[in-house]
Amino acid sequence: MNLLPSAATLAALVKIGLLVGGLMTAAAYLVLLERWIAAWVQDRRGPNRVGIPLTKIRLFGLGQPLADGLKIILKEDFTPSHVDRVLYNAAPLVILAASLAIFAAIPFGSVLPPLGIPGLPDPVPFLVAPGLDVGVLWVFALSSIAVYGVLLGGWASNNKYGFLGGLRSSAQLVAYEIPLGLGLLGVVLAAGSLRLDTIMNAQAESGVWYAFAQPLGFIVFMVASFAEAARLPFDLPEAEQELVGGYHTEYSGIKLLLFLVAEFLHMITAAFLIVILFLGGWHLWGVTGSSQEIGWIQALLRFGILSGKILGVIVFFMLVRWSWPRFRFDQLMNLAWKVMLPLGLVNLVTVATVEEFRPQLVAALGPGFAHAVAIALPWIACLAGWLVAGVFTPSGTDNTPILTHDPLDIERELAEHERLERSPHDVSPTLAGSR
Amino acid sequence: MDPVAATTLPIPGLLLAGSVAALAASLWLLLPKTSDTVNSRRLGFLLGAAALIGFAATGRSLGGVGEDAVFLTVAGIAVISGLATIVTRSPVYSAIWFAMALAGVSGVLLVLGAQFLGVATIVVYAGAILVMFLFVLMLAQPSGMAPYDRVSNEPMLAAAAGAVLLGLLTLSIGRLSAAEPPACCRLPSRAQAMAAAPTEGAGSEDDRSATLLAPATAGVESVDADEVAHLGAELFGRHLFAVEVAGVLLLVALVGSIAVVSRGEATETDHRRESR
Repeated sequence: MNLLPSAATLAALVKIGLLVGGLMTAAAYLVLLERWIAAWVQDRRGPNRVGIPLTKIRLFGLGQPLADGLKIILKEDFTPSHVDRVLYNAAPLVILAASLAIFAAIPFGSVLPPLGIPGLPDPVPFLVAPGLDVGVLWVFALSSIAVYGVLLGGWASNNKYGFLGGLRSSAQLVAYEIPLGLGLLGVVLAAGSLRLDTIMNAQAESGVWYAFAQPLGFIVFMVASFAEAARLPFDLPEAEQELVGGYHTEYSGIKLLLFLVAEFLHMITAAFLIVILFLGGWHLWGVTGSSQEIGWIQALLRFGILSGKILGVIVFFMLVRWSWPRFRFDQLMNLAWKVMLPLGLVNLVTVATVEEFRPQLVAALGPGFAHAVAIALPWIACLAGWLVAGVFTPSGTDNTPILTHDPLDIERELAEHERLERSPHDVSPTLAGSR
Repeated sequence: MDPVAATTLPIPGLLLAGSVAALAASLWLLLPKTSDTVNSRRLGFLLGAAALIGFAATGRSLGGVGEDAVFLTVAGIAVISGLATIVTRSPVYSAIWFAMALAGVSGVLLVLGAQFLGVATIVVYAGAILVMFLFVLMLAQPSGMAPYDRVSNEPMLAAAAGAVLLGLLTLSIGRLSAAEPPACCRLPSRAQAMAAAPTEGAGSEDDRSATLLAPATAGVESVDADEVAHLGAELFGRHLFAVEVAGVLLLVALVGSIAVVSRGEATETDHRRESR
């Protein structure tokens, strides 16, 4: 038996190490970035004091993540006596493991030029599991596993806030998985593959990012991934003003840290997916080229462009957080089922039609004009869908109470009043019915 | 019972019968009943472990169990979580063990190279159906359930039937894998398939459907990408009718559930009208 790991295994381990290390550092510094942006939006200074320890050098507060991390790790890890211990301990592990395992299928660059190491595929892809052909589904599967962490954490805490947070979150995540999947399907249909790197390559080769070819799908996917990452305006699972801390109310110390890191990883995953599926991945016109045979400079350039785009999307996430108020739960569900789901279907049908008749279009109109039509049609569908959704506003709610009787009917009001005084706990059906 | 020693046993049939009996007894002892003692549960666990070892040994002597450590691990997770699903008292834990069993099954499918099925198992069952299950269970307050809902119906019959079924399956699958499979059903190993893929690429109907469905994947991908396309072509080609019927059935179920809910609301408005 050969105990030495093969070159491919070693390469995978190196990639895993780089990815996990990079993600954890990125999560820590993104918290700092989020606090800076929050401070900027609210016109205050934000964290700017912690610099190099034991000196007076401030470094714009860049030492803050280190101090935050040390503080939360060294805090007492208190387990309340009323919790279900097994699930209470398992929940943070489940959510973090699932959100890290997602990155096995997510490419974080294009390819490295051939290294000439025997046993390694040439060129080396920036991807931990290059053999996985159903990368999109893998991401989808593991993000639905992450729901378990939230649900179990909330239930095991045996606390009403935690429980409500867990329930809200599971309902929200299950509901928004459908528009998310519909937005995704359009891209999969156009690229003809479930592999994320193939999807990026397809955009690089045609030069048309799917955000331009499928604007409606982009909008639907973007909104759904905000909801999946449970960011404002969709952060109902942990709405502070209503639920204290939501599903992690009872958690403290390192377990709370695991939950918070997992939440940030969800946002980073969402940013990765938005960039890879809709914003061209590592492709930028005239800079990166589109072939797979590249030199070192181009490889690093592609990595940098992908990272820059992801950072841009994350900054957008953070700006949105401080720009929109939170949805109410019924508005959230109405948006998912009455707006996003139909819009996603419209997008899917449009994309399917365009892809089906593309050869005929090219034959009839010539390649240039045909591609212009193939881009124009989804934009028309997008505008039409948006207009219909805006005019009929199915997500709007009428808050005026439903009156089942004439409010000026004094005799009836008196009778009702008397009845209530006789049995105060028996709420009248008319009052219960008026919302 | 040592599995290595068991491979040299002359009569795997005897071993199999013993394992079936042990499994039936263990299941009967472990299934939730009204009268349970700690000792009976302990005995049940011991018998169950012995039965599992016996089944593994039978499988090996019949030639149905591979050597791959990853496969054995995920298969073990699937079987043990499946057993735990039915013997656990708490419905929430039961659902979580079921999710573990699904994860094990998906691991088996991944090891066998059926990537799409493996990941789809997680997406559909663990990710969607079971989450709704847990949702309902947690809302339904498991501790407040009536005693007749917390014990299993007919534990003895169920345990015996399950054990016998497992024994028969072991026997038949072991025989099948021991015999040379007929040419139609022989699956090429992954390495063979990879080697054969470029030469088989010309002309057949499967190839046409694959290129129809996955235009961008030709050449660069391994055979598994085509496998997804094949699956899609099969589902929406030969089995189109079944897929459509299943879809309509689900739609009917959806409409039915909405009808049930809205009837509830209608009675409320009736009530309101009465009180008017």
